[in-house]
Amino acid sequence: MKRVRTTAAVFATAALLLAGCGGSDGTSDSKTFEFWSFANINQKADVDVYTKAHPDVRVKLTEVGSTTETAQALTAALAGGKVPDLVLIQADDLPKFMQSPDNFVDLTTLGANDIKGNYLDWVMAQSTTEDGKIIGVPTDVGGLAVAYRTDLFKAAGLPTDRDEVAKLWPTWDEFIDVGRKYVQQTGKPFVDNTPTSVFFQAVNQGSQRYYSADRKLDYDNEQVKAAFDVTLKAFDAGISAKQGSFSSGWTAAMKKGDYAVVCSPSWMLSQMKTNAPETNGKWDIATIPGGSGNWGGSFLAIPKRAKNAKAAWNYISEMQSPKGQLDHFLMQGSLPTTPSVYTDPQLVGKTDPFFSNAPIGKIYTQSVVGIKPFYFGPQDGPVGTEFLNTLTSVEQGKVNPANAWNTALTNVKNAVRE
Amino acid sequence: MLTPATAVPESPGPGRKRRIRQGVREFLAPYAYISPFFVLFLIFGLFPLLFTFYISLFDWDPIGEHRFVGLDNFSELLHDPRFWGALRNTFSIWVLSTVPQLLLALGLAHLLNHARLRLAALFRMSVLVPYVTSVAATTIVFAQMFDRDYGMINWFLGLLGFDHIDFTASLWGSHIMIATMIAWRWTGYNTLLYLAALQAVPRELYEAAAADGANGWRQFLHISIPSLRPIIAFTVVTSTIGGLQVFTEPLLANPVGGLTCGAARQCQTVTLYLYEQSFGQFHFGYGAAVGVALFVIVVAFSGLNYLLTTRIRSERP
Repeated sequence: MKRVRTTAAVFATAALLLAGCGGSDGTSDSKTFEFWSFANINQKADVDVYTKAHPDVRVKLTEVGSTTETAQALTAALAGGKVPDLVLIQADDLPKFMQSPDNFVDLTTLGANDIKGNYLDWVMAQSTTEDGKIIGVPTDVGGLAVAYRTDLFKAAGLPTDRDEVAKLWPTWDEFIDVGRKYVQQTGKPFVDNTPTSVFFQAVNQGSQRYYSADRKLDYDNEQVKAAFDVTLKAFDAGISAKQGSFSSGWTAAMKKGDYAVVCSPSWMLSQMKTNAPETNGKWDIATIPGGSGNWGGSFLAIPKRAKNAKAAWNYISEMQSPKGQLDHFLMQGSLPTTPSVYTDPQLVGKTDPFFSNAPIGKIYTQSVVGIKPFYFGPQDGPVGTEFLNTLTSVEQGKVNPANAWNTALTNVKNAVRE
Repeated sequence: MLTPATAVPESPGPGRKRRIRQGVREFLAPYAYISPFFVLFLIFGLFPLLFTFYISLFDWDPIGEHRFVGLDNFSELLHDPRFWGALRNTFSIWVLSTVPQLLLALGLAHLLNHARLRLAALFRMSVLVPYVTSVAATTIVFAQMFDRDYGMINWFLGLLGFDHIDFTASLWGSHIMIATMIAWRWTGYNTLLYLAALQAVPRELYEAAAADGANGWRQFLHISIPSLRPIIAFTVVTSTIGGLQVFTEPLLANPVGGLTCGAARQCQTVTLYLYEQSFGQFHFGYGAAVGVALFVIVVAFSGLNYLLTTRIRSERP
């Protein structure tokens, strides 16, 4: 008998080991839902506000990791795992999911048509399929502006007042001229790098990016070429510190003041504060050359197999209402997607001491109104990366600027596997 | 039992059944004991392997269509400059990291084996410290040391009057940087393997050699190396397999370009390319084809290593 028991125990252990990998918990009542977010965006604050107002609701919030890691986990879950009821998707990852909308609840069935008018039309367009299904509700956008060092500008004999600075560069060509002056005066580089600070901003300012209006891949177009050429021009002017964005050199140079300007989408402000706390108060914010533009943003979506889509939807409709987004902005600084609050005195009056009390709400919201919608396709990620990488190679002296456009097209063709 | 007449005749049914059951149990027991490994291996080893082969024949979107494309992924792979670049990078980083690493480990092992070494345990333990340090932490620190403008290495070169080297941007620079990280991590590990083997070498050999007037270098060359042949072959095999699968270092060393390890993919290894295709762009079929190609290469190299190893082993020191 003893042997039998041991045998059974060994099998049981093996079975347990395997069962441990499955992982499941049975709790699913109508008042509980599971929410996957990325880290460092503080959705917890929103969840706390919501559960305080609805003490009977339980929100199981998981911060999966970076935006990419969250998208990867969601992909794995959709492909055959346990899905959350609510998930936050970053704008750059969204097109991949928009390719297979059947994986998500069509939010128009829950009442999205009633609220879609609250949001910027060009943002809403990103999460709406061709046949009118709505997959995601936008939570924030990434308006564009320029962060500049007032002390370094002063030393270079440039104006420091944000309105006067904005007048210096209505266009990218004028931005480059200011850079030239700065380099002449100081002998130091002006902008952190050109691929991210010029190309990734300029390419997001047009009426078309890598896809045509009829949703066909079309990256070899005039608008992309113009953004590419102005980047090469900026490189040629010798104004770049050639510090790749988010690299360790970029962070170190930001602390040391080895460049005076970063083109900074609204979500980058908090990174700058973390990276270079010792530069507190030395920065200010001026409008971006070209006036408007967007890079980034996020959406909330509900997977089709969600156990409690209704509770998730209640959360979306309350927390992503214009008032909910305004409160989140005042608390966290993510830019609302609901234009009705852009004139709210609280938003207009919001300033940031790190950036010399610049009215960040006013400056950044101005950059996202009047944007023309363009189509985001599934290949946007790889195409953007190849253009950016080619321009980085130019800065690193590995690609001749004269051949850069053709090199970029070749690399993009490889990447999209045409 | 005293009188056969009173003995109740054993009913054949249940008794035999019990015996058969017992027999079956005894037959199954050993399999049950080894089953945890094999069950886990089937699920986490063999199944993914076979499934990868299967997926590589598809245009496989994990959350969308699975379209059968036959061998198209492989023919595309043969004409993909990014794949060949990744293969070149992988081999270059492998050679740059393995050769100096094993040579250094040999030398260190010989020194640590010295009879008159004081605090031997301390030194022998401390060579293993890099191995137990987190790869991610190592990578981030090394990447900062190799930084173009603010890195320690370039600061030092600057003191000596040399121009700064942009390690991460250049092909060889980035390879050297990553090879250094790998060598730093694995040298101690290999040193201990060599040291363990050296301890089995009789001290008398060294004493006799010393008596004959052989210096430390000659002892190293003519005693240590020949007695280490089998273990050298072993470390070459393991470093080769490990070297062909380098992933974390190129992923974290050069954040410019995301998953490409540099703007020109100058240090993207095959595994990183596989990851970029599968989990960056969700081309699971194509990523699986990269995986199959890597599998074939690793098997070929292991075979080659096996041949070399058996030859080296059979040669008399």
